[in-house]
Amino acid sequence: MHVILTLVRKDIANFLRNRAAVSLTFLVPIALIYIFGWVFGLNQTDSGPSGIPLGVVNASTNPGAAKLVDALRAESAFKVITTYDLPHHATRPLTEADLRPAIRDNQFRFAVVIPEDVVQRDAIGLHLKILSDPRNEIESQTVSGLLQKVIFSNVPELLGQSLQARAQAFLGNTRFTQFNRSLAETIAHNFGGDPAEIQRTIESGSLGLDQATKPAADPSLRRLDNTPAAPAPTPAAGTAATPAKPETKSDYFSKLVKIDQEQVVGKDVKSPMATRLVGGWAIMFLLFAISGSSAAYFDEKNTGLFQRLLSAPVTRAQLLWSRFFYGILLGLVQLITLFLAGRLMYGIDVFGHFGNLLVVCAAAAAACTSFGMFIAAVSPNAQAANGLSTFLVMVMSATGGAWFPLSLMPEFMQRIGKFTVVYWSMEGFAAVLWAGRTFTELLPILGVLAGITTVVMAISIWQLNRKRMFE
Amino acid sequence: MLSLRSVTKRYGALTALDDVSLDIAPGECFGLLGPNGAGKSTLMSLASGLRSPDAGTLTIAGAPVSPADPSSRTALGLVPQSIALYEELSAEQNLRVFGELYGLHGAKLRARIDEDLEAVQLADRRHDQVKHFSGGMQRRLNLIAALLHRPRLLLCDEPTVGVDPQSRNAIFDYLERLNRGGLTIIYSTHYMEEATRLCSRIAIIDHGRILALGTLDELLTRLPFEEEIGFPATPATDALAAQLGGDGTIVTQEGRHRFQPRADFRLSAFYARAEALGLPPRLFTAARPTLEAVFLHLTGRTLRE
Ligand SMILES: Nc1ncnc2c1ncn2[C@@H]1O[C@H](COP(=O)(O)OP(=O)(O)O)[C@@H](O)[C@H]1O
Ligand SMILES: [Mg+2]
Repeated sequence: MHVILTLVRKDIANFLRNRAAVSLTFLVPIALIYIFGWVFGLNQTDSGPSGIPLGVVNASTNPGAAKLVDALRAESAFKVITTYDLPHHATRPLTEADLRPAIRDNQFRFAVVIPEDVVQRDAIGLHLKILSDPRNEIESQTVSGLLQKVIFSNVPELLGQSLQARAQAFLGNTRFTQFNRSLAETIAHNFGGDPAEIQRTIESGSLGLDQATKPAADPSLRRLDNTPAAPAPTPAAGTAATPAKPETKSDYFSKLVKIDQEQVVGKDVKSPMATRLVGGWAIMFLLFAISGSSAAYFDEKNTGLFQRLLSAPVTRAQLLWSRFFYGILLGLVQLITLFLAGRLMYGIDVFGHFGNLLVVCAAAAAACTSFGMFIAAVSPNAQAANGLSTFLVMVMSATGGAWFPLSLMPEFMQRIGKFTVVYWSMEGFAAVLWAGRTFTELLPILGVLAGITTVVMAISIWQLNRKRMFE
Repeated sequence: MLSLRSVTKRYGALTALDDVSLDIAPGECFGLLGPNGAGKSTLMSLASGLRSPDAGTLTIAGAPVSPADPSSRTALGLVPQSIALYEELSAEQNLRVFGELYGLHGAKLRARIDEDLEAVQLADRRHDQVKHFSGGMQRRLNLIAALLHRPRLLLCDEPTVGVDPQSRNAIFDYLERLNRGGLTIIYSTHYMEEATRLCSRIAIIDHGRILALGTLDELLTRLPFEEEIGFPATPATDALAAQLGGDGTIVTQEGRHRFQPRADFRLSAFYARAEALGLPPRLFTAARPTLEAVFLHLTGRTLRE
């Protein structure tokens, strides 16, 4: 054990002295994780995007439309522009005709037009026009998601009005009024209140949907349902889309709004994307680091270092074990460091399951170490080892899902991916960090990683001995 | 100290050591002289337990050398033929690693490191990375890395390849001092000057076989002549060299011919021929032959061929 410790310490000192190796192992992946975080829109802070210029033209006299404009103003993500700049600091209201040239001039990339017929007579739903220059796809998605959120959560009575208008067209005026009146009377009978007031509320399009997402401010507006206000949507441990218990309209709406936030705004810190991004780059650069240190086997053989070590009271087994422990140690430190960086950048919940994370990282590092030994075992020299490892690491990272989700790839590639260390390591990271699996639930993945390690190590040691690496 | 009994080692079809028997006494400085590929390093690796022989036995102080038994190796120090050091680490860090592998630690290890660095004049460079050392400095460090644990038998495999004269002298002085202190040394080289200077007994080895073994004087008596005659290689002397072909061997190296006469050749005949060609006697110097001549006599080749 003392011999192994000395050898591991030596490997660590050797690694730390090699600045290129250190930065390739730690700094480069952190930089890439940061850069790709921007690409995937993970870097937005909790307040989300802010100050995206948004042209707004309101051609409707419907009070709901004015409310919608106010709601857009209130959304910090947008900087709402409703005026057109004239010479001499004068302004006039923005018109629909101004929008297209303005977008072309890049004054803003998004505009909303609320037309006169925002509530249509002949169709259910709202009529809005959204003009955009989608030069930045992520931004377009963010903006359209935010618009949906504002519309759904702030002015649901516009939708109600639309339903009312449709009902009116369908039933005819007399029967429509009758229907609303009997509805209001039924409500007043069951829940109390003034039937005339309720009927007016219904005709204004308020179906109570706004009450579901806002605290009831006006007690005169009675709720149509009798469920308590929806609890604040707290994502239950790990799973994003936990169904709320009673399937009611209010829950349905709060859930809809919440889902929009997660997918579009990318606020969800535990998103599988961040875990995948960090885990993917981490495992790829770990493979590079470890196969690099395995290529150094050839130097150690050629310079007679193995001879020197083995002529001391050191056995081959101790030499191999020391490399194995060193690989695991390097891997653990590197993976944990990168996940900590992921925690700083994207709030990945590293400490929530730290013990399990350590176990998965150790198993992944062991598998990567066996891969490094395999490279040294099957290559005739250091150059070949470097070439082969670069090739294999790239292929394994691509097919194993380190760069993008496996689901984006053709099925046969997904199948290949399942044979890689990368795939199973990523599965392990996702299982711990995203799904919050318990140790017992992790056992299958750990088993696969341990299996890979054992088989690949056995083949490598057999081959290393066969080609007299340690003589 | 070290005994080899009919040791044979093959690499596939190639026989690197062929039925070699040797006995090296405690306190000896034993030379292994032979050209590249003679089997010197192979012998070293067998003696240090890195490989097992295909036939025969090796013992150190009576105990069999076994790759499986690392504890038997504490009596032994190996200076590999190449510079077996961690380039990225400092001199001191390297020594610390190798010392610890032999179980040294603490004050004792520190004292040994200080002492040995001093002995080869590297004390002031102890914190520098080995990759910034000159070839000679690396060789000196390569040597002391095998000595920290104070072995009783030191195997030096061509420890001076590619070093400057100053480093070579430092290495020689240190080895001589250690040898006087009782250390048994096996020193392999293809430089006959080194073997001549350092070693009490020398084995001449070629193609895995020991061709001759003995002290320098014993080896020289194997030659059929007692003196060889050297003269500059010029167009005028080339004619003489050509005439002498049947009377002995002409070796031409570094602008000089050396004439090694056959046993029955009389030197008066040599000078008569030179005079006939009009070559003045001051061109010629008689000298005691070297191990080079012995090797040539035994193999028909020079050591550097
Ligand atoms: N590991 C090896 N595999 C195959 N052949 C080898 C190996 N090591 C040495 N040889 C061959 O064995 C012979 C003796 O080599 P070596 O002991 O290194 O000679 P020396 O040290 O005297 O130069 C050479 O022909 C060399 O090519
Ligand atoms: Mg050699």
